[in-house]
Formats: sequence, C-alpha cells, structure tokens
Amino acid sequence: MTHGRSRLAFVLVLLALAALVATPAVAQTRFVFANESPYDTLDPHAAFDVGRVAVRLNLYDGLYRWEDNPPKLEPWLAESHTVSPDGLTYTFKLRHGAKFHDGTEITAEDVRYSAERILAIKKGAASLLSTMIAPESTKAVDKYTVQFTLAKPAAIFLAVVPEIHVVNSALVKKHEKDGDWGQAWLTNNDAGSGSYQLTRYDPAIGFQARRFPDHFKGWGPKYIDEIDFRFVKEDNTRVLGMIKGDYQGTGGYLPNDQVKRLREAPNVKIVEQESMRIMMFQINNQRPPLNDMHVRRAISYAFDYDGFNKEILGGSVERNPVPIPNNMWGVPKDVKGYTYSLDKAKEELKQARARVDRPITVGYLQGFSQTEQAATVMANGLRKLGLETKMTSEVWPAMVERMKKPETSPDLVVYWISTYYADPNNWIGEMFNSKQWGTFKASSFYKNPKVDELLETALKTTDRAAREKAYQEAARIVVNEAAGVWIYNTKYFGPWAKNIEGIRFSPVGNGQEIRWLSYSK
Amino acid sequence: MRLLALALRRLLWFVPTLLGLLVITFVISRVVPADPVALVAGETATPAQIEALRRDLGFDRPLPVQFVDYIARLARGDMGVSLFTRRPILDDLLQRLPATIELTVAAMVVSILIGIPLGVLSALWRNSAFDHALRILTVSGLAIAGFWLGIMLQLLFSMRLGWTPLNGRLPGYPPTHITGLYLVDAALTWDWATFGVALRHLALPAATLAFPALATLVRFTRAGVLDVMQSNFVLYERAMGLPRPLIVWKYILRSALTSTVTQIGLLLGILLAGAVVTEAVFDWPGIGTYAVSSIVLSDYNAIMGFTVWAGAIFIVVNLLVDLAQTLVDPRERAT
Amino acid sequence: MSTVWFVLTRLARDRSALIGLALIALLVLAAVAAPLLATHPDDVFELHPSERLRAPSSTHWLGTDRMGSDVYSRLLFGARITILIGLIAVGASLIIGVPIGLVAGYYHGWVSDALMRVSDIFLAVPQVVLAIAIAQTLGPSLPNVILALSVTYWPWFARVVYAETRAVQKEAFIESTAALGASPWRLTVLHVLPNIASPIIVRSSIGMGFTILTAAALGFLGLGPPPPTPEWGRTIAESREFLPDAWWYAAAPGLAIFLTVMGFNLLGDGLRDVLDPRLRRSPARDG
Repeated sequence: MTHGRSRLAFVLVLLALAALVATPAVAQTRFVFANESPYDTLDPHAAFDVGRVAVRLNLYDGLYRWEDNPPKLEPWLAESHTVSPDGLTYTFKLRHGAKFHDGTEITAEDVRYSAERILAIKKGAASLLSTMIAPESTKAVDKYTVQFTLAKPAAIFLAVVPEIHVVNSALVKKHEKDGDWGQAWLTNNDAGSGSYQLTRYDPAIGFQARRFPDHFKGWGPKYIDEIDFRFVKEDNTRVLGMIKGDYQGTGGYLPNDQVKRLREAPNVKIVEQESMRIMMFQINNQRPPLNDMHVRRAISYAFDYDGFNKEILGGSVERNPVPIPNNMWGVPKDVKGYTYSLDKAKEELKQARARVDRPITVGYLQGFSQTEQAATVMANGLRKLGLETKMTSEVWPAMVERMKKPETSPDLVVYWISTYYADPNNWIGEMFNSKQWGTFKASSFYKNPKVDELLETALKTTDRAAREKAYQEAARIVVNEAAGVWIYNTKYFGPWAKNIEGIRFSPVGNGQEIRWLSYSK
Repeated sequence: MRLLALALRRLLWFVPTLLGLLVITFVISRVVPADPVALVAGETATPAQIEALRRDLGFDRPLPVQFVDYIARLARGDMGVSLFTRRPILDDLLQRLPATIELTVAAMVVSILIGIPLGVLSALWRNSAFDHALRILTVSGLAIAGFWLGIMLQLLFSMRLGWTPLNGRLPGYPPTHITGLYLVDAALTWDWATFGVALRHLALPAATLAFPALATLVRFTRAGVLDVMQSNFVLYERAMGLPRPLIVWKYILRSALTSTVTQIGLLLGILLAGAVVTEAVFDWPGIGTYAVSSIVLSDYNAIMGFTVWAGAIFIVVNLLVDLAQTLVDPRERAT
Repeated sequence: MSTVWFVLTRLARDRSALIGLALIALLVLAAVAAPLLATHPDDVFELHPSERLRAPSSTHWLGTDRMGSDVYSRLLFGARITILIGLIAVGASLIIGVPIGLVAGYYHGWVSDALMRVSDIFLAVPQVVLAIAIAQTLGPSLPNVILALSVTYWPWFARVVYAETRAVQKEAFIESTAALGASPWRLTVLHVLPNIASPIIVRSSIGMGFTILTAAALGFLGLGPPPPTPEWGRTIAESREFLPDAWWYAAAPGLAIFLTVMGFNLLGDGLRDVLDPRLRRSPARDG
C-alpha cells in the first residue's frame, strides 16, 4: 500500500517538475495578419510602400529604424553615426556579432552591397537614394564601419537610411544570374537578419516566418513564435475574420463603418493613433484652364469637406488643409485653408481669366471605393458651379503611369500619400518641387521657382529650425495658389486581437513589427 | 459518311477560326491606351530605360510583325511571358486552371445530380403544383444576375448565419500539390480537415454558378422526357400494359441522359461564362479572374494566352456539340 | 394582320407570358415616368451625406445609399439606362446579324462557311469576357457598353437566320418557283423573311434579358457608365461594403434586374410557344 502510494507521489512530483521545466518556453504561439495588398515580392529593395512593409520590418534589419509615434530614429544594426562638418560624409559604426539567418556575421561589406544593390536595381527607395548618393560611392572602411558620401548635403538622408535593408551579400551573390543582382532569387527567398526567418512563401497567399532566436536585439520572456502574413483582399473578409478570431491583426485604415463593427466585437480592440497619411486631389497645374489660380481656388471651395470627413467617413479623419500632415513639424499653424463655400467659389470663377468650357476629368482608383466617393463629392460640387465633369478610373499602377506626364494625367486625381519616411519632404517636398515631375507624388506638375528654392534649401541644411521655416513658407505659397485640394489626415484605427499586447505603432511601420508582440493570456 | 464530311469540313476551319480570334484579340489588346511596358519598367524608370525594355520585349516592331512572331512561337508551344508576373503564361494558366475546373465541375455535378431528377419528376407530374413551382424556379434561374445571387448567398449564409466563409478557396496554404484541385489533393493525402474547409469554401460559389445551369437542365430534361412520353413506341408499350416504372426506367431516363449529353456544350458555355463573374464575386483565383485582371492591367501576352486557350476549348466544344446534334436530330443532317 | 391578331389572342391565354408582359410594362413605365414617380428626382445627382445608409422608411421607401441619395428614385432612373442599353444593343445586333445570316444561308460554299466561322469566333469566347475587353479598352461609359454588347451578341441572330434560310431553301415551292424563272435571291428574301420573323422576335425578347444581365455584370465590374450614374449593376457593387447592415441597398437593384429579365424571358417563352410550335419540340435548337 505505502509502496504504491509513494510511487504515485513520485510520479506526480516528476510530472510537476516536468511542467515547471517546460513552462519557461512559451507554448507555440501564432500570429496571423490579414493584409490588403498582396506580397508579390520578398525582395526588400523592390518595394518601398506601406502595403508590403511587413516583409521589411520582420525579415530584415536596417542601420536605424523608425519606432513609435511621433516617429523617432532608433539605432538598430548601427550603434551610432557621425556626420562630417561639410555634411557630405556619414559614417556608421555597426554593432558586433549581429547575425544573418544563416549564421554568418553582418559586416560593413553587406551594408555597402545593399546600398549599391538598391541603386542598381532602381526600385523601391532608389528614387530617393539616387538623388543623394551615387553608385560606387559607398565604402566599407573596415569590418564594422561603413561610409556614405553624398553629392551634396541632404537633410533627409538620415530619414531614408532605415530603407537600406541589409541583405546577406554572400548569399545573394551566390544566386545572381545574368547580372540581375539576385532579383529572381530574392523575390522568393530570405537573405535577411530580421527577428523572423522565412519558412513559407506563396505570392498569391502570403508568407510565414518563425522566430529567429539569435536576433541581435534579443528576446524578452514572452514573444510570438510564428507569424503568418496573408493577402486578404476584401474588407469584409478581413473584418469577419477578425471577429471570428481567424486573424489577430489587420490594416488600420478601414472604412469607418467597418471600424464600428469591430469595436463591438468582444475579442477585438481598436488601437487609435494619430497617423500621417494625407488624402488629396492633385490638380494638374499645367493644363488650361487649371493653370489659372482662380479656377483652382474655385475648385478648392467646391469640395464639401465636412460632408465627406464628418458624414461619409463618420468623423474618423481630421481636416488637413495643407500638404503636410497636421501632426508633422513644418506646418504653418495659422493657415486655415479652404472651406466648402459655393459663393466664394463663384467669386473666384468670376475673377478667373480662363474660362472653363470643357468637362473636367476627375480620376479615382479602381478598387478603392473611398476615392470613388471623394470623386463623386467633388463632381457634385463642381456641377453646382455649372462645371461639367468626366470621371475616369484606373488601377493604381495604371494611374501612376498616367501621372508621369502632364499630357496624360487627369485634371484631378485623388489618392493618399502615406509616410515613407517621417519628414515634411515626404509630402510637400516631393509634391511641389518641379524636379520631381514624373513621380506619382508630383502629379500636380506645379512649377514655382520661389517654392523650388525653399524646398531645395530645406533639403540641404540640417538645421531643423531653418528647415521648418522654409517648409512653412512653401506651404503658405502653395496653399495660397491652391496647387491642390487637401482633404484629410487619417487616424490609424488598428484592429488587434484583444489579448495581444506590446504593439508599437509608428506611421512608417503601422505596427506590423511583430517582435514586440505577445499574448497576454 | 456525311457526318465524317461535316466533321472534316469543320476541322479544316478550326485553325482559321482560331487565327481570326487571335487577330481580333491582338488588335483589341494593342489598341489599349495605357503602356504596360512603362508599368513593368517600374515607377522610377527613365524614358531611355523604358525604350530599352520595349526593344527587349519586342514591342517596338510593327504590329503585323509582332503578330506573325507570336503565331510562330505559339506553333512551337510558347505562349510568352506575363508582363507582370514574369512567369511563362502557360505556367500561370496551368496554375489557375485547377481552381476554375474545380468550381465548374462542382457546379456541373450539382446541377446534373439535382437537375435531371427534378426535370424527370416535373415531366412525369406534369402540370401539378410541383411542376408549376419548378417552372418558376427555372425561369428565375435564367433571370437572376449571377453576381447578385452570389452576393445574396454571402449575405445570408456567411454574414448572417456564419455557416460558410465569405470568399476564397482556402484561408491559408493549400494541401500538398498533386492535381491542384484542393478537394482531390486533400482526399489523396488523407487531409480531411483541409478537405472540409475547402468544401465549405466551394459551397457558395458552386451553388451560385450551378443555379442557371440547373434551371436550363431542368427545362431541357423536362421537355425531352415529355417528348419521349408522347412518342409512339412508349404509347404502344403502355397500351401493351407494361408497368410504368419500367417504361420510366427503360426509355425516359435514357432519353433524359441523352438529352443531357447534347446539352453539355450549352451547359459548359453557361458555366464558363458564369465562372468569370462568380470568380469575381467570391475572389476565386481561377482563369476568370486571371482574364479580367490581365485585361485591366493590359498584360498583352496574358490576354492573348487566355484567348488562345479559351478559344480553342470553345471551338472544339462547339464542334463536338454540333456533331452530336447532327447525330441526334436527323433534320440537321440534311443541312 | 390576321396573324398578328391570332398571335395576340393565343398569347393572351398564356398566363406566364402575360405576367412577362406586365413586368415589361412596369419597367417601361418606371423608365418613362421616372421624374414623376420618383420621390426624390434630384437624387440622381444630389448628395446628402448626412442621411447616408438609412433604412427604408416613409420618406425613403427603399432607404438611402452611401451618399444619402434615395435608392428608390435612383432605381427608377436606372430603369432608363437598362432599357436604353437593351434596346440599342439588341437592335444593333439584329441589324448586323440578320443580313449576315441571310447571306450565309443563301449561299453555299466557302463564303457561307467563312461567315459562320466568323460568328463562331465571336461565340468562341464567353460574351462577358469579350465585352469586358472591349469596355476596358475603350473606357467605361454608356456608349462603350452598348457597343461591346452589340458586337458580341449579333452571332445569335446570324445563327438563327442562317438555319431558317437553309430550311426555307429546301422547301419545295422555292425550287418550283425558281424553275418558273423567278430570281432566286428575291425569292429567298421574300419567302424567308416572313418565316424568320418569328425566331427573330423570340430571339430579341430573350436577347433583351440576356443583354441586360451582361450589361449589369459589366456595371458591377466597374466597366459600365461611371458614377454617379444610377446603373443597377454598379449600385450593387457599391453596396457590397455596407453589407450586411444595409441589405436593402443590394437587394433592391438586384430584384429590379431579376423582375426585368424575368419579364423578357417569360414573354419570349410565350412568344416562342405561340409562334413556332415546331421549336417547342426540339429544345436543343436554342441557346
């Protein structure tokens, strides 16, 4: 009798000990995210957009990283940097012992290779980077020091540095084919060092990755073991999926009606944050009669801002009257912008020298019903002024194509500009500098030497106060000349599973950096 | 003999017909104002780079030359490369074909399994309440907009009741690839969990697609059975006292099945046309959505590739149907 | 004239055909009298954002849409577009298809073969896909939709006329009158035309239904007339993101399409039963 009982006790103690030993390793935890754009490539240098940022944030690392809101640059692969007095040379000191997923150490040569690769394949951030550094100008000074040499001082260089994602140069070179810098291979594979390592990828579905335990940032006691990012096109499907618990996170720029549904779901929480994502109508400043400032002002007075922002979008957005987000520095706080006033619009039309005698083409994006609704509201306002409109729609790549030339771009086009990097140049700089004509942000085809001068000055100096003044003045001029119609700055309403904690939101990353997350229960 | 002559004549026309289709599609796709080469080159490409890419892809040559070259390569089995996915068109088509096949076959199975018995019954119970109710159903079947039916089904079964998912083939990754037909693959690998999920995803799209086919099938089966029932030899056998069930089995069902075979061509047409819209509503990654997205993105090669494939299939099916009809209807033979 | 009377009286006895006729009459009434019947006729263009997505009520019989416009009124004006598209597209298909069918039927040999193979080409790809290609290429608009539909529907008329012409040619009286010296062309046309009138009428009615469905599909895919046109297919597409709450927004235009197409189908069926009893017995002939 006692024999049996003591054996039982022994077994129980063993089991208890086993349970104790087993617990520190958190049970397999998965996190599924439903994304509204497809992950058509895993190449971190091929994409720059917010829609596919999860790949870059989780599988790769950069020298610095944007974190939190308002966004701050945090040292990441680099521990520190110095800038030469003439502002032309940036020297970064890398941390020692950071490893790629295949175990090899990250060195300055990898950083140099990555920068050259971006410039060579001319995608993603290349459009910005190539204006600042030239090919073959980046040097690996020693194993842990990399040096960038700029052609001229550029205030936004540091802001763009996070986009230089470091790839495993040896691995990529091994898979180069016909001088393609490994593009064909890297599209479907992982050459990174990020917190998560690729396990599965299907361009039609998405990607899966598991935790990389040797990541240089280290891990706390709680984390997510496996991440699963999926392309789910329909808003409704993502919303239903969140409510049912199929997904633990999804994009935070859903229509207000959907956000309301999610708020009511018991297992979903909405994380609300100020973001930086402006919606606006670009006006083709080169095409008559829109080259007349009074016509543009009339158009600016003809849009029902409150009707759109407060009613149709249910007050989930903030009116943003200048081409810089309200919560970014560089905004002239005294500028009130335009309001919905048909009387003022008619006044402006009277003062115009040009006559509007043809329908105005209003372009919106296929598949983005909010742009369709904005275009409808604009057309309605113009109709009340007696101006005819013609609606035209394209898918985003086709619209980008049309916006490259003033001849093919519609009279008005409505879309968003998100935070590619946290600097006013991301908006007003790229939108109204005449050197930017041909990029999708500059489809205003605006040309004003005074504004050009201000924007160039702001790019060159690193003196924040001077830059702020320049942007404010540029904004005043541009608003006065009604170079565009700026509607709102969006808030981020991120749906997350209620038991997820540790979310760090930044307008650049949209909270999709999973290494900080864990389950609370 | 006449049948053979007819078949040969039609086969002779197969190539010119297909060629004609390709010419039309070629012209239409090149008339497009957007420039896919520039799209493909990327947002940051300079005009010089775009022109270089255009030369690479051969799009700078005169149109007739491009067309001849396309036909020449097609004869060798090379459909070209998609401008957007950078993969061979044939690969893209083959990858998406199973989805459409799965959907179409499921719809056909449903409509045949339900349609034929209903058609036979409504003919046997002619002018009964059942028959009249069914008549309303069949007329509705061809009057309902497929995309609207799909949306209403989604509203009821997915959103309100939560019985089925909203769209797509599967929420995550597919079963081990053997045929590309998820139900088959899951069954073959004994992955019954995935089988169940895939089945639930297939339910609504298949039902939506099947509805007009079902309606047509019921109608034609009913008419065919009525024909047979009133034919002389059946009346003779009834007069001779043969039991009804035997007559039903021996003649009517056989005729019903025969009439189905001749209707397959028609059914296929309805199903494939409906597939385009159904796939759009349910986000089903098949040939239909591929065709629409290729058109929207002006992916020349993909548009041509899809047209070759679809055109060839339809021409062949039409030919087979015409031949079958000639066999069935002696009046047609004389033509 | 007596044949017309005969047809009408026979038709009047077919209850479902009468229902079809009534539905069509309803559609025509809605279209023609839209400004009078609508409770908010300005809502074809006007927006009232503060009243968006209201449920059906005494002021808005079918509720409001995403812009706050009255769904019922926009539905009525949508009927105009529906009828316009149907009539012109079917009419154009007729004008193209009938002569082609006549010529192909009259002649034998490679001319006839060639023409029928051309019609095969257009039938080779689903009408929807071809229409999408044309509409996307030319740009989404009302005239382009009509063009796309006409270009893709004419083969149905051509086929029917071709078959009838061939059948008529074999009639003995053609051969005998030809022997008497009458011009074969004139004969064929004079004798064929009255005979093909029936199948053409039937085809037109069914064609209206078919065309309206395809037009709605184009509108649903965003390839039809642009906003704020109250086209029924487009309205259904707009409504999707507001389901399941604003279900009336999607249900109403869908029902309108359903009733309209059903009307034309029922009428077409009834006409077919009356005009051509022969056709009733061989269901395989029609599509």
